[in-house]
Amino acid sequence: MEHSPVKKIVTAGALGAVSVIMAVTPLGFLPWFGGTSLTIMHIPVIIAAVLEGPVAGTIVGLIFGVTSMVKAAVAPIGPLDPLFTNPLVSVLPRLLIGVVSWSVYKLFRGKLSPLAAAAAGAFGGFTNTVLVLGMLGLTAASQIAGTLGMDNAAIPALLVGIALSNGLVEAAAAAVFTGAIVSAWKGIEHAAGASKLSKEEL
Amino acid sequence: MKNLEFFRRVSIGRYIDRDSPVHRLSPLGKYLWLLALIVPASLVRSALMLAIIAASALALALLARIKPGYLLKGFLPVLPLLGIAMAFQLIFTASGDQSPVLVTLGPITVTLREVGSIAALALRFLAMMLSLGLFTSVITEGDTARGIEDLLAPLSYVGFPAHALALAVAVAFRFIPIVAGELESVVKAQAARGSDFGAGKGGPIRKARAYLPLIVPVTIRALERAEMLAEAMEARCYRPKGRSRYVVHASGTLDTVARLGAIAYCAVLLIAAGRVAW
Repeated sequence: MEHSPVKKIVTAGALGAVSVIMAVTPLGFLPWFGGTSLTIMHIPVIIAAVLEGPVAGTIVGLIFGVTSMVKAAVAPIGPLDPLFTNPLVSVLPRLLIGVVSWSVYKLFRGKLSPLAAAAAGAFGGFTNTVLVLGMLGLTAASQIAGTLGMDNAAIPALLVGIALSNGLVEAAAAAVFTGAIVSAWKGIEHAAGASKLSKEEL
Repeated sequence: MKNLEFFRRVSIGRYIDRDSPVHRLSPLGKYLWLLALIVPASLVRSALMLAIIAASALALALLARIKPGYLLKGFLPVLPLLGIAMAFQLIFTASGDQSPVLVTLGPITVTLREVGSIAALALRFLAMMLSLGLFTSVITEGDTARGIEDLLAPLSYVGFPAHALALAVAVAFRFIPIVAGELESVVKAQAARGSDFGAGKGGPIRKARAYLPLIVPVTIRALERAEMLAEAMEARCYRPKGRSRYVVHASGTLDTVARLGAIAYCAVLLIAAGRVAW
């Protein structure tokens, strides 16, 4: 299914708006065990990558990353927000979510669409967690250690622990949401059956 | 039901209309100054350099006639965190700290390196907060998109989709209130059917599942609207290449000076940071 460039761009913008809304409202956080929350703000990025390709995914990733950076600077709420004002932590990792999700989706070669979308969601979500934590470890290990009162040497183990515990659950959440949204959207597209201008040869 | 009205609380920087030299800069000039402030602020480790960046951002805010207090209102909630970080830095001396000891209070020694790293943490956050807050206060939504295109125009010669990115950002800005409105109506519709967000009983998995009937329709509605918009644009023969602009910024002398100044400022800071030890 080849879409026109205009549709790719406009869809990227619309999903970018969804990710901004998720970032500034409680919608982007799922309540989870022990008062912690899971982020699902990267799901629009994965959906853009699955539906419209890696360029759209990267554009939405950029919008998501910049939003989280601006929000951390303008209206910080969490203890880690000061670290997210660093674009190396908040923007750079998010640019790669789209590329990873799209590659995983492409591995299925158009078969088993809901499963492919779920797999793309899982890998995209895990990419987000691992890269963001990795950049935190590279740029701010001593500050995290200072905040938590731990030794610097314990930080890599702590980050790997978070990546495995939170990361796997977030990946599962991303898989469920991406699978649900992509199959709902594809279903609509097939059921409508109307000819669409954007699919005609230009 | 107060948490249904999401849109009231949507605030990630707001344009403040003032007549100032900073406001009169072209979008490109504003972007270059933003980058000149935040790129060194995220790379530099020296507390002195970070203080200079924060002071420059403050000076620009005064020049733009934006009250620094407005930009810093987010700083207060972070102060307790900085306090805790400070306390732990002081109590646990990092191994191999060879820097001179400034104060000794019983078992606690305060070394120059500890003071430096606490100051760097606070100053980096201050510099980022001032720069990003100032940028969002002096640039309109339309200029945010146009500035991206101007900034990345050199890259479009090597195939980078600068115009596509600018259009996507413009569409995102336009869609934010639409998506917020959709979200509000979906939440109200689900609440009318008896769903309970946040306050509900049941385990976390059940609570998490309650988000599914929220996020799926909101995303689908956004995709539908995007499809309609794309079709409308194509029906009007929109082509991404070779477009003219409705708003053209005349780049005067002030603007050229400001752009060159931003590049020079960034270069001087990065070079100086390599030579300063603290």
